[in-house]
Amino acid sequence: MSYLDQSIRDIHRALVERLTTPLDLAKEVLARAKASKDNAFEMILEDEALAFASSLTEPEEDNLLWGIPYLAKDNFSTKDIETTASSNVLNGYKPLFDATVIRKLREKKCVLIGKTTLDELAMGGTGTTGHKGITYNPYDPSHQRMVGGSSCGSAAAVAAGIVPFALGSDTGDSVRKPASYAGLVGMKPTWGRISRYGLFPFAPSLDHVGFFTRSADDSAIVLSTLAGRDDMDSTSSVKPVDDYASASPANLTGKRIAVIREIVDSITNPEVKASFDRSIDALKEAGAVVDFVSFGLPELQAIYPTYIVISCAEATSNDANLDGIKFGPFLGGKTYQEVMSNARTAGFSELIKRRFVIGSFALMRENQDVLFLRAQKVRAKIVAKVNEILKDHDVIYVPAAPGVAPKIASSSDKLSNEYLIADNHLALGNFAGLPSITLPLTLIDGLPVGINFMGRAFEEKELLSIAEAFENISGLSGLSVHEKKEARL
Amino acid sequence: MNFEAVIGLEIHVEMKTKSKMFSASPNSFSREPNTSVTPFDMAYPGTMPRVNKQAVINAIRVANALHMTIDPLVRFDRKNYFYSDLPKGFQITQQFHPIGRDGYLDIEGKDGQKKRIRIERIHMEEDTCKQLHFADYSLLDYNRAGVPLVEIVSMPDMRNGTEAMHYVEAIRNIVLYSGTSDGKMEEGSLRVDVNVSIRPYGSQEFGTKVELKNLNSTKNIETALDYEIARQSACLLSGTPVRQETRRFDEASGRTVLMRVKTDAVDYKYFPEPNITPIRLSDAFVQDAIDTCPELYDAKRERYLAAGLSGTDADIILSNIDMAAFFEASIATKPALSKIVANFLIVEINAYLNKKGIEMKDLPLLPATLADIATFQNDGYTHKQCADILVHVLENGGTAEEARIARKIEKQSSNDDEVLAFVTAALDANPQSIIDFKAGKDRAKGFLVGQVMKAAKGKVNPAAVAKVLDAELAKR
Amino acid sequence: MKEINLDVLRDAANRLLFDMSDEEYRTLLEEFGVLTRQMETIGRIEGLENYEPMTFPFDCETDYLREDEPETPLPREEALRNAGSVQDNEIKLPKVVL
Repeated sequence: MSYLDQSIRDIHRALVERLTTPLDLAKEVLARAKASKDNAFEMILEDEALAFASSLTEPEEDNLLWGIPYLAKDNFSTKDIETTASSNVLNGYKPLFDATVIRKLREKKCVLIGKTTLDELAMGGTGTTGHKGITYNPYDPSHQRMVGGSSCGSAAAVAAGIVPFALGSDTGDSVRKPASYAGLVGMKPTWGRISRYGLFPFAPSLDHVGFFTRSADDSAIVLSTLAGRDDMDSTSSVKPVDDYASASPANLTGKRIAVIREIVDSITNPEVKASFDRSIDALKEAGAVVDFVSFGLPELQAIYPTYIVISCAEATSNDANLDGIKFGPFLGGKTYQEVMSNARTAGFSELIKRRFVIGSFALMRENQDVLFLRAQKVRAKIVAKVNEILKDHDVIYVPAAPGVAPKIASSSDKLSNEYLIADNHLALGNFAGLPSITLPLTLIDGLPVGINFMGRAFEEKELLSIAEAFENISGLSGLSVHEKKEARL
Repeated sequence: MNFEAVIGLEIHVEMKTKSKMFSASPNSFSREPNTSVTPFDMAYPGTMPRVNKQAVINAIRVANALHMTIDPLVRFDRKNYFYSDLPKGFQITQQFHPIGRDGYLDIEGKDGQKKRIRIERIHMEEDTCKQLHFADYSLLDYNRAGVPLVEIVSMPDMRNGTEAMHYVEAIRNIVLYSGTSDGKMEEGSLRVDVNVSIRPYGSQEFGTKVELKNLNSTKNIETALDYEIARQSACLLSGTPVRQETRRFDEASGRTVLMRVKTDAVDYKYFPEPNITPIRLSDAFVQDAIDTCPELYDAKRERYLAAGLSGTDADIILSNIDMAAFFEASIATKPALSKIVANFLIVEINAYLNKKGIEMKDLPLLPATLADIATFQNDGYTHKQCADILVHVLENGGTAEEARIARKIEKQSSNDDEVLAFVTAALDANPQSIIDFKAGKDRAKGFLVGQVMKAAKGKVNPAAVAKVLDAELAKR
Repeated sequence: MKEINLDVLRDAANRLLFDMSDEEYRTLLEEFGVLTRQMETIGRIEGLENYEPMTFPFDCETDYLREDEPETPLPREEALRNAGSVQDNEIKLPKVVL
């Protein structure tokens, strides 16, 4: 078994014992990355990675991330390295600074191997709308299935065993949904727990830095490094950071777990349903108290339109800076308006433009009441409900997606009349800013599907403990395309 | 028909903080183009706003000076629009929750009576980048992008150009003396937009509003408004409705000129800034900002009057904040010298500044030296002698005492006995002059004073001589 | 709410400084139909009027204010290196008509 397929702790041990080196790891990562056919990369930083890895010669015993290779979604600002958020409007843009998370990982001597693809500007959930085209699910070599988005490249690369972890961003479910399709652990902590400085904004009130790993323990290790106050992001929290990496599997006896009934009821795939039912039995068997709670169907149906209105409204404003004047392709024009319009017309895909018009419409004076402000009120009501449930429960437990990764041909990015609750409920964690983690539940015909736990604000350690306990039940910790596991649930 | 003007002002004030409103770039826009820029100012993706503490303190101080209610929960909003000088495509401002509300300012009206102008709001925001326009292109300098601003919005309480001028002068004094801004209209650090409409006297309705721009001095505000009010009145009297438009003041002609006719109001699609969580100001923080506010214009003026200055003298000194600071430093340990020091500043030093074409802050003189010179005058040296000492110091440096010695200036005696001796000698030596004086020839007295001064080699005080001479002449 | 038709959408897009194909405007019009209906439905959620519009996910008041200390600015070449139109150390645009 390659070290790359092991847990971060095992790789660390091998590095400390000098059984391998950061350079050897980086070389192997690069080989796997180049062999990958899933279109996961915006850019592979071969020279930079090899240079940095070869500078790492003295193992740091107390630094679990020393020499560990990783990837970052291409919406994290990387100094002097082209960063486009998979949008043509940013082609050629070389940032002047590192995102805080990039800086922190470099300080920990993590080796950045490359930048991964995403749905353009992180606005999408399919992994099919970036300027490099479709990113594929590594579990389906026939390339019929999506890996999900928007953090598609990071999900595909970790699932393919290229790196032990990768950074993503999560505004609606952009880490936690692809994690479900890719058989990964996908986590976003509490809003404000990780600095967003240098993350290209989509909708700041919903945006979170997240990451993909292959185990909850790896997530805990990564979170330990990324969490914390950063004055460059005034919304980041000053609350003390827990020692997440010391989390151990929770004793589930007496843990109160809430399952939202309407979400489970909306799952139509019998295999997912059956597997989820088995997981509930197993949790009970381990001593947990599982309560089915009712959330309210109208509220759950409201999640997606509410999300669209709020996120598009914020996005149309955030992305107003993309005008071809200060950065990005300058296409000329006879007036300044033409300069901007030429850059924006050519730079954004049609999906993005439609979302911007929707967002802009929601903010117009005569529409705010019935669109933006109404959505913000719905958000308030939904969040109140979530917090009410968490008053009596340690976590909320739900299927992360209605099924395995869908086929690309069946996907559409148009707004639909259907209320797809099971497809959109993960945004609850963004509305409420709560820590949320997706873990593999089972494999159906070789394709993974995941579940999600959501905990109380700033109680990431508790959430990770429960996640680790769940891994002991599912038996799918460490899952990747290379490391096939036997599903128990 | 007689019309009444309804005038409201929006004033943007650039703060002279060390760093910008939401970024730590140096706030020094006089530098070379694009050298006071950090990634936030150019809207690089992923940058986030960080609110400047001093800007908040300044805003609190101005709000307090304007008797406003201060909102201790500081919140910001986005004003969304596209323009070439707006890097982010939105401006961060305080649309929904301005830091100050419902204040007022008492000014002097046209008739000299006190008039209260209500103030609707004061809020913080950021400036745009600076555009330089050429024949067929424009250049963008981002040094100004993100410079902290406060905007002060009055109620439409002013009725003529003089009131508007006085209001702006009062606001300028507040931002200047609170240390918020240098308040220079001509350099754009204090920018005034005027809204003016007219209506028949007695009417409560508002007429069509015209916006005036390019007002770069307080005097221009008065002139522009006088012109504009007359123009609008003429329109209505001739049956032409006033159009809703923006007009520019043309300094050369003293007229307002059409810039653009206003179409439908722009929709700025305001919404709360999601990258700045609400900032709670403690009572102690707000109180401390107020308590540590530098002394304001009105308080200084009162103090100067109490120290014996005339209103005119106080106004002249206070019209130059550097001169006021110099004045206060000079009299710090010798408050009794206030009037003498003030006279030197107003007459000799202002003349020197004009002659040399330099600013007060570049005056080659220490306040303590001026205090020493004033002490000479207080001790009996004549004003003329002290002025000579002052000129010597300004031109050669050194102390007041060194200048006195260099100029061979001796104190003139006012001792009556000493003076009497010289006077008696002079009278005794010039009997014909006494006769002439008695015959009504005033010139004879001047001759006698001259004789005394000559004999005393200038060491006696001419005023004292004249006094003693009068008494002695009467006796003879 | 503003009535929505193709012209309104085109105007809204143009105000955002971009254009789209006719087909995309039609797609957008359909999407607006969907969204408007959904938002109307949502408007009937019980008790909505009791809630304040929420911007932040939870109470996150802070007392943090940045100290007014200037940092070293970017070297000018760096600040402008991503701009496609530069002249005399400034970004150059077609003449902006006031």
